[in-house]
Amino acid sequence: MLEVKNIEKIYSGKMAVNIPELSLAAGEAVGLVGNNGAGKTTLFRMILDLIRPSKGEVYSKGLNVAQSEDWKAYTGSHLDEGFLIDYLTAEEYFKFIGDLHGLSEGDITERLLPFMDLFNDEILNQRKYIRDFSKGNQKKIGIAAAVLSNPELLILDEPFANLDPSSQIRLKNLLRNLRTQKQMTMFISSHDLSHVIEVCERIMILEKGQLVQDMQTNENTLRELESYFTV
Amino acid sequence: MLLTLLSHQWKANYRSSVFQKGLVLNIIMGLLILYFGAIFLVLGLALHKLLGKVVPGESAVAVLNGVLLYYFLSDLFFRFLLQELPVLAVQPYLHLPIPKSRLIHFVLLKSVPSVFNLIFLLIFVPFMVSAVVPAYGAGAALAWLFAIIGLTFLNNFLLIYFKRQLSTKPILTLLFGVAVAGLILLDYLGVFSLYTLSQSVFGTVLQYPVLAMVPVLLVAGAYLLNYRFLKAHTYPEELTVRQQTKVEGERLAFLGRFGELGKLIELELKLIWRHKRPKSLLTMSVFFLFYGLIFYRNEAYLDGFGMLIFVGIVMTGMPIFNYGQFVPSWQSNHFDAILTRRISPYQFYAAKFWIFVPVATLAYMLTLPYGLISYKIILINTATLLYNIGVNVFIIFFFSVYNTTRLDLSKGSAFNWQGVGASRFVMMLPMMVLPILLYLPFKFLGVPFMGIAAIGLVGLSGFVLQKQLLQWSAGWFLKHKYKLATGFREQ
Repeated sequence: MLEVKNIEKIYSGKMAVNIPELSLAAGEAVGLVGNNGAGKTTLFRMILDLIRPSKGEVYSKGLNVAQSEDWKAYTGSHLDEGFLIDYLTAEEYFKFIGDLHGLSEGDITERLLPFMDLFNDEILNQRKYIRDFSKGNQKKIGIAAAVLSNPELLILDEPFANLDPSSQIRLKNLLRNLRTQKQMTMFISSHDLSHVIEVCERIMILEKGQLVQDMQTNENTLRELESYFTV
Repeated sequence: MLLTLLSHQWKANYRSSVFQKGLVLNIIMGLLILYFGAIFLVLGLALHKLLGKVVPGESAVAVLNGVLLYYFLSDLFFRFLLQELPVLAVQPYLHLPIPKSRLIHFVLLKSVPSVFNLIFLLIFVPFMVSAVVPAYGAGAALAWLFAIIGLTFLNNFLLIYFKRQLSTKPILTLLFGVAVAGLILLDYLGVFSLYTLSQSVFGTVLQYPVLAMVPVLLVAGAYLLNYRFLKAHTYPEELTVRQQTKVEGERLAFLGRFGELGKLIELELKLIWRHKRPKSLLTMSVFFLFYGLIFYRNEAYLDGFGMLIFVGIVMTGMPIFNYGQFVPSWQSNHFDAILTRRISPYQFYAAKFWIFVPVATLAYMLTLPYGLISYKIILINTATLLYNIGVNVFIIFFFSVYNTTRLDLSKGSAFNWQGVGASRFVMMLPMMVLPILLYLPFKFLGVPFMGIAAIGLVGLSGFVLQKQLLQWSAGWFLKHKYKLATGFREQ
């Protein structure tokens, strides 16, 4: 599904990301953990062709993302507020994304149904622009918009950050349902070790731009991760 | 799809918080646009006769043709200073299934219907109807207009391309301006005449209307150049004008030795130095030093006093006015920090005061050469300098508590109306009018120089009483700090 080859990103002489090999199989859910500055967001940005790698390529379904734009049709993503068109209302934004994928109003309402718990009556029919929502609610809008097109590949950067505890649990269940019902391939970064383990079957640890561990999730994973990050 | 993007653009504009909050401002903007539009229109209608009077020997069309190349060169120069790059908000679209090429076309086309490109039509169309059509016929006249529109668009696209390349080196823009001025000088000295060149170029277009296709081809070329460049660089970090990551202004640290006041001054200077908006405001202030060139050349003004007082206030005070109109909005991003840290409001205002005084004095010293025109200018500017640092500074502080809108410091200041409130216009009145009112009674008594002295004395006493006045400013600020803090927290 997704393949990263010899990718490097150098910022003013410093290696931010250096990954010789990384691949995600279709239907796989992979969690990316690492401390601040480990290069998680930079890696995601290169996968989404938002920054130019200093070296190497990213292939989505065998096509280089920097040369072909086919991946955009089956990839849903939300990294930060920069992905939102913040002067639209939430409904207008969903409508716009829906239009891009040829969805009718009915399709959009239907696909947003699973999000109603997460939205908690705070997102739709609010008569305010996205920029006026709280960070947490902006995140919910971004995630819903990323999932709206039923993407084959879903990329989320710290989806649990800024969410209240109930929303975190609701989002976790939502992502698990998407996995079982739609076999979505997921690449998710998180600082919340327990949530990401519950959603993903494979965990990668990124440290100083390098992939230091790549493991399948089992009952010991949380303990292993905690001991890894205990300094 | 282009229509959807356009509608987003439109929403981005009329939903922007600046636009929605400042109704008064929008009305003033509207009036300004109407005012300038009317001026250009009248100029366009009268240009035919006007040129006939100014240059009696030649036909109006030939004269205008002669200055056209100058017009386009200076147009390009002013665009460098004023026109913003359509760096656009493509970021929210890049990860969506919209072809990049379409986004790029959108960005480029969006730049066409701007004020810079359209306002000139108000001059050239009436001129074409009144002067070019009767002399050369409608077909040739249309080709002529077509060529002018083409060259305007060419400037538009050239600017987009080169400003992105050159934005890191503002000195090159200045050199370009100097080069244009040099061409005018060469023309004046008769060494090389761009005037005749321009005349023959546009004269040929009138003779062979087909040549109007040349600018069209040039526009297409410039468009393609931009398209190619953007296509290869659709990455947000490469699209935006390169930000300087280098830390600047560290050498100001020595100010920290002068206690709390010194530290606050250092902080404020770093704020100015490290943000685009305050920096460009100060650069603009430099242009006001040339204000004298316009007024001091006029004998009628030189004989009187009123106009000279006004010019003196503006020249020695412009940096203060420009920066002061946004006190304390400059600190809006970290205003809560200012309030919760151990910074006394007195020191907060004293720091601003002690930045304003040397800056005004510097502006004053730069205006001293105007004294060669008349010693009166030196006397008046001395008085207005004292008035600026003794009275106007505190008028600014008085009005500062009404600046409750947040400022985005990273945007340029030209045509940037964010944070400009009605209080700014009200503030200008006492600052400009009071000194003249002070002077008037002495004028009617027949002792104008005493009037100048009175202005200076009032200013001096304000300066001497600075401690008390600063204390008063601090108290005034404390009364209004909650309102300010609330205003700054709103996005």
